[in-house]
Amino acid sequence: MNDSLLLTTLLFFPLIGGLLLIPFLGRPVLARQIALAVGTVELLLASFCWLSATAPPPAGAPAGFFLFSSRDWIPDFGVRLILGMDGISLLLVILTALVTLVAMLVSWRSITKRVALHYLLLLVMETGIIGVFLSLDLFLFYLFWEVMLIPMFFLIGIWGHGRNIYSAVKFFLFTLAGSLLMLLAIIGIYLLHGDQTGCYSFALNELVKTTLPYSTSLWLYSAFLLAFAVKFPLLPLHTWLPDAHTDAPTAGSVILAGLLLKTGAYGLIRFGYPLFPEAARACGPLLMTLAVVGILYASWVAYAQTDMKRLIAYSSIAHMGFVALGIAVWRPVALSGALLQMVNHGLTTTALFALVGMLDERAHSREIAVFGGLWGKIPRFSFFLLFFAMASAGMPGLNNFVGEFLILAGSFRITPLSACLAFLGIILPLVYTVRFLQEVLFQTERQPLLLADINWREGGFLGLLALADIYLGLHPEPLLAMVRLPVALLIGVVP
Amino acid sequence: MKLYLELIILLPLFGALINALCGRHLPRRLSEWLACAAIGGSFAAALAAFSSYSSPVRIEIASWLADFDFSAPLALYLDPLSLSLTLMITFVCGLIHLYSVAYMAEDPCYVRYFALLNLFVAAMLLLVLAENLPLLYMGWEGVGFCSYALIGFWYKEVKNADAGRKAFIVTRVGDVAFGIAIVWLFMLCSTESIVDLNSMGGSIPPWKLTAIGLLLLFGAAGKSAQAPLMVWLPDAMAGPTPVSAQIHAATMVTAGVYLLMRLFPLICLSPTVLAAIAITGTLTALYGASCALVQRDLKRVLAYSTISQIGFMMLGVGAGGITAATFHLLIHAFFKALLFLAAGCVITAMHHEQDIYRMGGLRKTAPLTFYGFLAGALCLAGFPLTGGFFSKDGILTAVWEQGGTLYSALYTIGLLTAYITALYTFRTLLLVFGGDCRSEHKTAPVPPLMNFILLPLALVALAGGLLNLPTVFGSGLLSGFLAPLIVGPVIDPSHSTELALLLASSAAAFTGIGLAWLRYGGGRRQLRLNEAEQPLGGLSAFLFHGWYLDDLYALLFIHPFIRLSQFFWKRVDEQVIDGSMDRFAGLLGRWGMLLGSLTCGRVSLYLLSFAAGAALLVGWLAWLMFSAGGG
Repeated sequence: MNDSLLLTTLLFFPLIGGLLLIPFLGRPVLARQIALAVGTVELLLASFCWLSATAPPPAGAPAGFFLFSSRDWIPDFGVRLILGMDGISLLLVILTALVTLVAMLVSWRSITKRVALHYLLLLVMETGIIGVFLSLDLFLFYLFWEVMLIPMFFLIGIWGHGRNIYSAVKFFLFTLAGSLLMLLAIIGIYLLHGDQTGCYSFALNELVKTTLPYSTSLWLYSAFLLAFAVKFPLLPLHTWLPDAHTDAPTAGSVILAGLLLKTGAYGLIRFGYPLFPEAARACGPLLMTLAVVGILYASWVAYAQTDMKRLIAYSSIAHMGFVALGIAVWRPVALSGALLQMVNHGLTTTALFALVGMLDERAHSREIAVFGGLWGKIPRFSFFLLFFAMASAGMPGLNNFVGEFLILAGSFRITPLSACLAFLGIILPLVYTVRFLQEVLFQTERQPLLLADINWREGGFLGLLALADIYLGLHPEPLLAMVRLPVALLIGVVP
Repeated sequence: MKLYLELIILLPLFGALINALCGRHLPRRLSEWLACAAIGGSFAAALAAFSSYSSPVRIEIASWLADFDFSAPLALYLDPLSLSLTLMITFVCGLIHLYSVAYMAEDPCYVRYFALLNLFVAAMLLLVLAENLPLLYMGWEGVGFCSYALIGFWYKEVKNADAGRKAFIVTRVGDVAFGIAIVWLFMLCSTESIVDLNSMGGSIPPWKLTAIGLLLLFGAAGKSAQAPLMVWLPDAMAGPTPVSAQIHAATMVTAGVYLLMRLFPLICLSPTVLAAIAITGTLTALYGASCALVQRDLKRVLAYSTISQIGFMMLGVGAGGITAATFHLLIHAFFKALLFLAAGCVITAMHHEQDIYRMGGLRKTAPLTFYGFLAGALCLAGFPLTGGFFSKDGILTAVWEQGGTLYSALYTIGLLTAYITALYTFRTLLLVFGGDCRSEHKTAPVPPLMNFILLPLALVALAGGLLNLPTVFGSGLLSGFLAPLIVGPVIDPSHSTELALLLASSAAAFTGIGLAWLRYGGGRRQLRLNEAEQPLGGLSAFLFHGWYLDDLYALLFIHPFIRLSQFFWKRVDEQVIDGSMDRFAGLLGRWGMLLGSLTCGRVSLYLLSFAAGAALLVGWLAWLMFSAGGG
């Protein structure tokens, strides 16, 4: 009962907090502060769950879950409110709370119109994303999957710039097309399972027992994979991402890259592989190929970019390619690496988008060609940009390296060729990163710009993220330990 | 021992952290003093570790990467090889830090400079002391980053920033090969510990061992500026001169050699790999020496000579002479740091002029610098009885002892290179210090601290031979110290062979020096200066531009890369992939319009379609009924 209270609070607290903002729609300052308070409490709540991780598993919980709650919701259709948290969910929930908090802080000054609505949407989205990471019922999962989509649509549409309506619609259509197919597949497996057992249920731990003919499972898995591949994004379904990032407000970019991209990978790990093991294995080589091609191609395209946000967007595609590779080989070390990489990429890219957002806020441009010689003008900003760019380029001792290295070490055993090609993918990020750094930070200034260095608010969360990067780069053990049991259970090896 | 080892690395790291975080708020002297004291403390800890050293120790500090069967802890390993390098690094870097205080006295960005310099030393020591390959890789990339940041230290000039970027990327190309070797070794041996790997070479299939060895060689070639990845080092001279001395002469660039020596028990099982290492080393040595012959920039001469000398070390490793290669690595660090620091004095005295054809007469105006440079030049040229003479001769002896056609040919090229080395060294010396002052300005005074630093380095470099005398003159200290590392047969030439080889080396050095004097000494100097006014032609231009490798790589790799990136973005990504999605969406939209036009408000059309639909439905139901009834 205690578990269920904790999980429900964790899930719905941001939503309730968001709804609390409605009376304050005309009072931006107060709305901001309330939202920040809600976000902070949510982060504390999420961190509090870490303490439960060592507790004995509750009765009735699937193996590996240390928090679990299951209750009826729509009994006629066998829909249940099943929430559960294992090490994987825990890390991603904490990441969600942290990134949402950063998203609130980066939009502190830059959002000036409809402030309360902006924060309301951020909080609704937080509930949606946390719901995705906690649901163990496919109906619930689908529901939250769609819930997190809608606020993002409005974020881009209302506060975006450039061709924001085009990008918002594009983002919406891409993800919707994928997820509708997934809905069909969910209904399909629901009916098949009901026919076989007479018990109609959307619960994951019921549905995994379904025996499916190979061809059927292949079709159903493809529908899931499509939905997840759009979110990842995998080649060639990635083109919504650069547009969405470029035209989104900073908070939108931060959440998009930091969190939404992770939901695809999470869905594949939590639902795709357990529900359709043979089909998933059979599609492994396809996934590996798409992953490796994505790594190389996206890094290569990133080099040509002139807009900083587009550059980071393409680099996100490349980094998520590593995650896809780690999942596709489906081996313990690689999968742990992929999970770690999800967290690491979330932290690093959040910081990078926040930094670009700050520059945009000050200079009203994100064109690389406008800047130059920033090191001499705004040293603190430049230091953070250099730091996070190096983390993103895979500098050992910082966080991204750990995930990427484990993925490569784990996948080399299974697919040496892919791993070797992916290794080439550690040169290319350096090439575009140092070019970007050089043109922005070094050389001489190209346009006279009056820029203020970062303030306490910005320095505070950037410093926090930087510390997290260093900590995870030097001592990832707590996180690895957290996912070790779930990974072992998923793959079926001894932890 | 654990404390000493931790201090060795942590002191420079803390120095870097303090300077980076609050150096700006400290008084300048304190900031500088902190940086130097950090390295000094590290050196003291290294000495303490040396005095209490008895046998190899492995010390685990914390866990780092550990997951399922994969394990790479934060652990350090001290054996004679890492210990001797640690002593050298902390000693040389400590002196260079002191030198930097004077050299950078005018620069306002000293905080960033010292923080990076300290961070570099920490990373370099981590590289040397790492117990496993991923940790070594961390140090490896760490020094690469510091090198990048320090080459481009004066970032306002495009040239400097470009040079830093080039160094970073070219070495990263080698790192890919190194990275693949790391995970491949893990796959084969299920361990990343260097000591364990070294004992497991026998269980690896030969072809895989050869492939891994070649990958490691390629990785080492990136860091150590060996063929075909040597193009970054000459440009790296854009950084401040003490940086060139510390990173691009004494320590980081020898990391590749160190890697190969560290894993020598593994790679020596493959004769192909050893031959490849020896050939790479010899070719690079010849390449560097030939290019150094015609350079005009003082620092570029030294850079090419570094490439060439590291080639010698590689040759030593390839010939199985680990002791000789280590010896040369240490001695080279001393005399090359000395040469660079002396060059820094020269450049200061010449008001930042680096063209050797515009120098001259410094023997009289800056005598202390002259003697320092002379000591370094004698070592580099292999003048008999200097440290450089013995260390280079040790390598050539090891090559000679290998015998066979290949190694005999390599010995001949090596001897030829030694001769060219003496020639270009004394060409530089004579042009810089000989004759009369050509510069219009008066020479600037060199800060005494800078000249003073040259003294200890000169002593160590000149007397360094005592560390490891050939067996003719007694026993080698270093050989005894490094003996536990030797695998396979010990190289033990007869005394007569040894003497003959010493004589051959001396002859090469004397011929080179003599020829340099004949061309650049006395009155011939003016002839050469006049010649230098003419544009370079033919072979000279070829050598001056480093065999045009930069242009070749630009043509083969850089331009295609940039063009393809544009192509992928504009054509493939925007037009083909995104365009097809947009066209698909447009198609759907047109269908929608078409269907939408049906709902145009004409009731007659609605009635008609209603009737048609109903007829279809009824017809379908009827067909179902009849077919069911018929069946």
